[in-house]
Amino acid sequence: MTLQVAPPAVGMSEDVRAGAERQSGWLVVAEQECRDLWTSGRGLVLLFLFSVLLSAVTYLTSTNQALNFLEQRESVNLVLQFAVAVGVLATLVVSADGISGERERGTLETLLVTPVPRRSIIADKLIAALSLWFATFLVSIPYVWVLARGVGILGQALALGLCVGTLVALGLGCIGLLISAVCNSNKTSIAASIFLLLILFAPTQLPSGLPQGWFFEVLLRANPVASGLAYISSMLVEGHSWTQDLSFLITPLLTAIIAGGALILAGPRLVRLTRGVNAG
Amino acid sequence: MRKLLLIGLLVGIFTVLPSPALAAAPLDAKVDAEPAQVSTVLGGRFKITTPITNTGARPSGEILAHLNVASIEGSVYVDPEDWSSNRSQQLSLQPGESRKLAWEIQAVNAGHFAAYVVVVPYGSNVVGNEGLVISPLVNIDVASRSTLSAGGALPVVITVPLLLGLAAAGTFFRARRRGSGR
Repeated sequence: MTLQVAPPAVGMSEDVRAGAERQSGWLVVAEQECRDLWTSGRGLVLLFLFSVLLSAVTYLTSTNQALNFLEQRESVNLVLQFAVAVGVLATLVVSADGISGERERGTLETLLVTPVPRRSIIADKLIAALSLWFATFLVSIPYVWVLARGVGILGQALALGLCVGTLVALGLGCIGLLISAVCNSNKTSIAASIFLLLILFAPTQLPSGLPQGWFFEVLLRANPVASGLAYISSMLVEGHSWTQDLSFLITPLLTAIIAGGALILAGPRLVRLTRGVNAG
Repeated sequence: MRKLLLIGLLVGIFTVLPSPALAAAPLDAKVDAEPAQVSTVLGGRFKITTPITNTGARPSGEILAHLNVASIEGSVYVDPEDWSSNRSQQLSLQPGESRKLAWEIQAVNAGHFAAYVVVVPYGSNVVGNEGLVISPLVNIDVASRSTLSAGGALPVVITVPLLLGLAAAGTFFRARRRGSGR
């Protein structure tokens, strides 16, 4: 990352100047992180691939002439779940590149010498990763609209996708940054994050015909992705009220709080140059 | 004399003792259904009400009103559970008492259907040969509604990736040109 911090104004007291530097530095780093993601084309390429996948799923769903009214709600649910799951995956991949990628590219040293607290650097990385989640959500809006306009659940589906998806993306983004801060190699960090995501998605892919006892329920509720998606299903398909299955959101909320808390507490110690990697 | 007494005693016992078959009393009730006709579209929700009146001189005891839906034209498969999640209501009525039961229904198939409510006795002392009380049919016409089609989805399915692909390619090549210019 090439960072350009504006020079401090002349005639300011030391404390005020330091505070202003820290504040403006925080904004500059956040802006730079987002610019790195979006103007390099990396974010747009991910969005393009995301839209191709979503187009394929939406087209297959809409060409099924046998869909009746009730099943159309299920098709909205399917596309929304797909959008949330892939959006979260993209967020995790970008956040997993956050610290280890800087280390490997030799730009972490430059970043560490800027007058910005390390916690702010982590927060900026998280903002950049979450910007990708919000972009994937924006892209998914027309697809959800195509499927949901006839059954009158467009507003509900979009509100659900935004709230649940943001919560899950926040938790997994924090986990991705933690993994990235711990790993020396970018490859290890991204591989570990994708493996973690696969573990989290595995229970959601179990055939619905399997006997679903208490173990399945525990597995579902312990998993922030699966329980978030189950909450979306319960409202969209089963027509439950928003308070009825609120317990499904406990795990995503706890994940965001615990991973976010760990990042705030341990982040400044983890974001450092390590021996044996290219320090630029 | 002894024989006569014995015969009299046996006749008396068989007359006084209630046999299971004799215990079953017909339900003295009347069920109506309102409205008689419903026209809606696929997915439409509507409500029908069935006033149930105890027309007999005795309390009805526990009775169960049960809603059913049947296709009366063509060969549309009907799963009544999809139409209404709450299809049974338990009640008891005093002589002359009337109660209106409401049924929430959602039309999940297109076609011509009939909904009706049947009242059956309820409890462990039901024998099985009690008479049933059935409401008149409610005619339901459900028009199909096709909101999902490949043609409707096609503009979005093509346009969004196309625009994003162009934007990504433009940004990518501009970033490369900027990088090689330095």
